[in-house]
Amino acid sequence: MKRKTGRVFAYIFAAFWMIMTIFPLFITILCSLKDNAGITLGMLSLPKKLMWSNYTQAFESAHIIQAVGNSLFFAMASTVLTIIIGMLAAYVLSRKKFKLRGFIYTVFLVGVMVPIHCTIIPISTLATSVNGKNTSWFLILVYTAFALPQAIFLFTGYLNGVSKELDDAARIDGCGELSLLFRVLIPVCVPIISTEAILAFIAGYGELIFGMIIMSDQDKYTVARAMLTFTGGYKVSLGPIFACIIVAVIPMIVIYLIFHEKVQDGMLTGAIKG
Amino acid sequence: MNRKLTSKFVIPLFLTPAIILFVAFIAYPVCNTIYLSFHSWKGIYGSPVNFVGMKNYLQVLQDDAFWRSLVNSFYFMVGGFVVLMPLSFGLALLITSKLRGTKLMKTAYFMPVMLSTTAVALMWVYILNPSFGVVNQLLGFLGLESLQQDWLSTPGLNIWCVVLVNEWMYAGYNMLIFAAGLVSIPSDVYEAAELDGCTGWKKLRYISVPLSKESFKIFSVLCVTGCLKAFDLVWAMTKGGPNHSSEVPASLLYNEAFTFKFFGKSSAIGVLLLILGIVLSVLVNNLLKREED
Repeated sequence: MKRKTGRVFAYIFAAFWMIMTIFPLFITILCSLKDNAGITLGMLSLPKKLMWSNYTQAFESAHIIQAVGNSLFFAMASTVLTIIIGMLAAYVLSRKKFKLRGFIYTVFLVGVMVPIHCTIIPISTLATSVNGKNTSWFLILVYTAFALPQAIFLFTGYLNGVSKELDDAARIDGCGELSLLFRVLIPVCVPIISTEAILAFIAGYGELIFGMIIMSDQDKYTVARAMLTFTGGYKVSLGPIFACIIVAVIPMIVIYLIFHEKVQDGMLTGAIKG
Repeated sequence: MNRKLTSKFVIPLFLTPAIILFVAFIAYPVCNTIYLSFHSWKGIYGSPVNFVGMKNYLQVLQDDAFWRSLVNSFYFMVGGFVVLMPLSFGLALLITSKLRGTKLMKTAYFMPVMLSTTAVALMWVYILNPSFGVVNQLLGFLGLESLQQDWLSTPGLNIWCVVLVNEWMYAGYNMLIFAAGLVSIPSDVYEAAELDGCTGWKKLRYISVPLSKESFKIFSVLCVTGCLKAFDLVWAMTKGGPNHSSEVPASLLYNEAFTFKFFGKSSAIGVLLLILGIVLSVLVNNLLKREED
């Protein structure tokens, strides 16, 4: 008897949190298809007439598609860079013996602890002095720099667990340093690389603060920045704001629905080891 | 030629890109922030930078907004332990249980983390909207008009709304940490306990919770070190206002610099944030390590 009540309670809790999780997204979708009166009279009511024009307005006045494209590009580019640069460094840190090795590794570890917010003023100044304001490359390098310490930490840890006999075998087969790294070790490290790729990509896509500081042209806005176009100032129509939110989250939801197991594993590894 | 690369070249060659990025975007900015924190500067490129000694620090430490922001990040930590921890642990119990649909639950619960923070923030801003938001509407529908609030503009209440949205977003993420711990508890421990007549709450109290110690530790580290990093949610939901009531150190730092142009004062906040961050992470790591011995 007691068992049964426990189970019922568990199902109720499960259903409750399921509703809690889906609810905000559901309301946002509803509201993205309503006109102002429909939203202000009752967020929960079903739209009387589907206002697809909200979406066209979001495309035109917030340039949301452009922003999604920008963020996908920034996230992708910085992820690729993080992995290549991170693997190069991790390879040396894990496989070579040299004097400063311990020191360099520790410095990168401390880098994980630095709160990004205390670097925003110098980075903003730096951007001005190297003409990096409103340029994609500067923002991509910033994202890469902040993803690197964790990448190096994860990669070095993983490589340390890969037997050195593999290197020796590859060397005997005539592999040089580059082909050893790219043809032998990187394929072995695919699990940890995909973990880091997921972490870096998610962080890059949603990033807000550097996007705000470095990009001031509307056609260079990141998704996060573009969504905030509407807040502040009076904006008469609410529908397009909700449309913007929906367009902004679609790429991540699609990626998540396709790769959800991989994403969950990756985030978990990142949390536990990081 | 590449094949002939010797170790001597490989070490600097492979490390250089990482070191350049690290120095340019992390090490140099940190040093520069420390330098600026002893100076006054209007933030215009090329304008004079004057040495003012400890003045910025004194200003920050005498500023109520700064202490307010620290208290608010403390709320993030409190919320983490009081709301997020039990909630995520509960969800972890659910998805590792023998109930039906655990896979669907897991996928759904985790999803909020994937939506970007700004999107999450905006959704909730409208749900909490005082005139047409769902929360106030539901309260009205239930006849509880007296509980209707201007959630994000009432000082004292607004920061808790942001904290709760934060817990909403990260519940599924922390659920995975606890679930990983729960899955690793060998099933014969449970079987043995059941033979001894240990069921329900007792099983939870004497097996699941104590054997998840490792997960609780990981959670604590993330929670303590993460509370100073809150920015995106706060910024997108309240911008730290009204009147600094929902400010966290990072948003205060941003406002001082980019809204009010006090770059020296903002840098002083940055340095304090950096010190606090390092102290907290060393402290929490040491505390947990000592417990292990």
